[in-house]
Amino acid sequence: MTNYKTALLGAALVACTAHVAPAMAQDQLNLPNFTYRTGPFATSGIPLANGQLDYLTMLNERDGGLNGVKLNGEECETGYNTEKGVECYEKFKANTLVIQPWSTGITLQVLPKANVDKVPVFAAGYGFSAMQDGQTFQWAFNPPSSYWDGASILLNTIADGNLDNLKGKKVALLHLDHPYGKEPIPLLEEYAKKHGFTLLPIPVGLKEMQNQSAQWLQIRREKPDFVLMWGWGAMNGGALTEAAKTGYPMNQFLGIWWSGHDADLKLVGDKGKGYRAVSFSFPNSQSKSMQDIKKLVVDAGKSKIDAASGEFDTVFYQRGVILSAIMVEAASAAQKNFNAKTLNAEQFRWGLQNVKFDQARLTELGLDGMVVPFSTSCQNHTGHGGGWIIEWDGAKFVKASDEIKQADRATIDALAAVKAKEYADANQPWATQTCQ
Amino acid sequence: MLYRTAGQFKTSYAADHALFPVKQDAWLLMIILFVAFVVFPLTASEFTINALLVPVLIYSLAALGLNILTGYAGQLSLGTGAFMGVGAYACYKLITIFPEMNIVIAIALSGFFSAAVGVAFGLPSLRIKGFYLAIATLAAQFFLVWLFEKWAWLYNYAASGAIQVPNIEMFGFTVAGPGASPVTKYYFVLIVVTLITWLAINITRGRIGRMWKSVRDMDIAAELVGINLMRAKLSAFAVSSYIVGVSGALFVFLWRGAAEPNLFDIPLSFRVLFIAIIGGLGSILGNYLGAILIVALPVIIGTLPAFFGLSISSSTVEHMIVGATIILFLIIEPHGLARFWQIIREKLIMWPFPH
Repeated sequence: MTNYKTALLGAALVACTAHVAPAMAQDQLNLPNFTYRTGPFATSGIPLANGQLDYLTMLNERDGGLNGVKLNGEECETGYNTEKGVECYEKFKANTLVIQPWSTGITLQVLPKANVDKVPVFAAGYGFSAMQDGQTFQWAFNPPSSYWDGASILLNTIADGNLDNLKGKKVALLHLDHPYGKEPIPLLEEYAKKHGFTLLPIPVGLKEMQNQSAQWLQIRREKPDFVLMWGWGAMNGGALTEAAKTGYPMNQFLGIWWSGHDADLKLVGDKGKGYRAVSFSFPNSQSKSMQDIKKLVVDAGKSKIDAASGEFDTVFYQRGVILSAIMVEAASAAQKNFNAKTLNAEQFRWGLQNVKFDQARLTELGLDGMVVPFSTSCQNHTGHGGGWIIEWDGAKFVKASDEIKQADRATIDALAAVKAKEYADANQPWATQTCQ
Repeated sequence: MLYRTAGQFKTSYAADHALFPVKQDAWLLMIILFVAFVVFPLTASEFTINALLVPVLIYSLAALGLNILTGYAGQLSLGTGAFMGVGAYACYKLITIFPEMNIVIAIALSGFFSAAVGVAFGLPSLRIKGFYLAIATLAAQFFLVWLFEKWAWLYNYAASGAIQVPNIEMFGFTVAGPGASPVTKYYFVLIVVTLITWLAINITRGRIGRMWKSVRDMDIAAELVGINLMRAKLSAFAVSSYIVGVSGALFVFLWRGAAEPNLFDIPLSFRVLFIAIIGGLGSILGNYLGAILIVALPVIIGTLPAFFGLSISSSTVEHMIVGATIILFLIIEPHGLARFWQIIREKLIMWPFPH
């Protein structure tokens, strides 16, 4: 009797757990997203997630999806927690075209798995810089520019185009003490050696993001000529308020694209005037796509956007739009090439390798001036579009110049090749591809 | 009736003190083991194994380690996450320095590193008790995580500051790393956890366990009856940290695949402590029940809204329901889920004639 009932109960339990597998429909294009609308990085995460989702919603509303196939941008909340990242990856991997980890830490974890499970990882503007090597990282993509591209552009900017100008100077790197923040260090070290400037990495722990007095005390003591920032979430606001408080000259303070967030600069307002960041995207609220989003999604009440705060016009919201647009472009390229409506991960990967975002195509899509033109290929998974230098004018970001800055390819490509090989060797057996 | 003990006669002291004096308990365990070893691997989806079964087992093991220290020996510790980290980093260094080393041996050895660190940080327990000791272990927590961040040798000077698990083979099977199949990893974890649980049950109900319990209940009295306090407390720290270290190595090598230092920060310690407290301090079974509640339930609940076709954000549901459940359980049974099960079991034995 006992055993009979327990067995029954056990069977029920097994039946339950066996079916705990979230299902996504097959007859749509699944472009799920890992988001963090909660936690210390939510200030950065929310506008990006909103932008990404709203572009897909707009296409579904306006065109009924992509060539008649609905786009599904389901979200999985990670809170920037790598543990939740694994769970989200497991949840999506069976039936998705792409994984968007949205954290260098989660990227580190899913990258080796994705290479085995054959799922494209789309880490736009983040992740490993060495991911540019498409032959080694056949399933990973980080267009339009990598962190090393950003670091090189920032250095070129402070050196007025000639890195030898930095000789004898001191450049501080204020970075999040996390895989993300450490990413530019190998490249910057190499430049420091070659061009004779001092690199001073100043890590900011996850617990010290809001209170960086120790780091800024160090900056005051060491008096670096320039401070470069690799910050994210609450760290950006913390650093900018400290810089404003200690009176560090803003025109010597520059950030990577994730540190160029309107909401963070609004905290310091006028005092942040002159702060610059490199960015591969720029808001253009008048473009056709943005107007359509406004009409069909935001005004129709289908967006999670905080319209009152002016989020619509910010760099991050519109960058989210761009990132979704890159994926949709990849999907559309793949649809055309394979003459299919719905796609599988392998076909979508081909699409990501064949994104051609030139000026004409951007105009056609209604994304004028919102992203640097770039194109990916089998060998080149980043595209290296470069970036604009954007500057805070006290109320919003403006382009410091219309020129799109390009990174120093020779040094970066050489370093990327070395690091990609190191990575593949450490993860044997590692499947690679050969490009024609 | 369901749990009829009538007719189960004991004719010797040994039989009376057996692990399962009631036959039904043994049967229940057999069924659970059968489900875990045979039914789950055959039926569970990859998601179930990777997001539910493996983490529940690993967290149970970590909670078991903490429970030996806090539940059995009465020494409160807030450094579990860091001790897990010691195990993980030790295993990583062993595997990278000696690539030929068998992963089982590496994991078993890495436990000794965390045991040594645990004993070192357990030394203050000889002089201080309770909350003061908790603060001392908290210092271990902060110090060790700081060390994982700053000591680049630990992560082989990787630019990202994180450790990554390579593909590791054992007898021709890939057991760890991205290339390993989920079922292989599950079996690996399950066997390690089963073995350590079996050891822990026998340690805690034997001479050493009784020594720990007497120290927990009243250390002066324990000293008066001739128990060496130093040996009792430090052995509890050693055994506990060993198990926690092994669970840390499993945590990174058989589940996560990569880890950065702040993974082992205080939230992890608290999570394991919650599992131990909600499961029931001073019990072995409680760790499993606690881990199911804290680790598995949020994942299951997270998938429910989609299952029923609701468009509520699953993270909202998760936080609300899980929070409410934890409070509910603490109100109904402050001594943890293990005690809850004990009451149910007693009622079942009496049923249908309660007195």
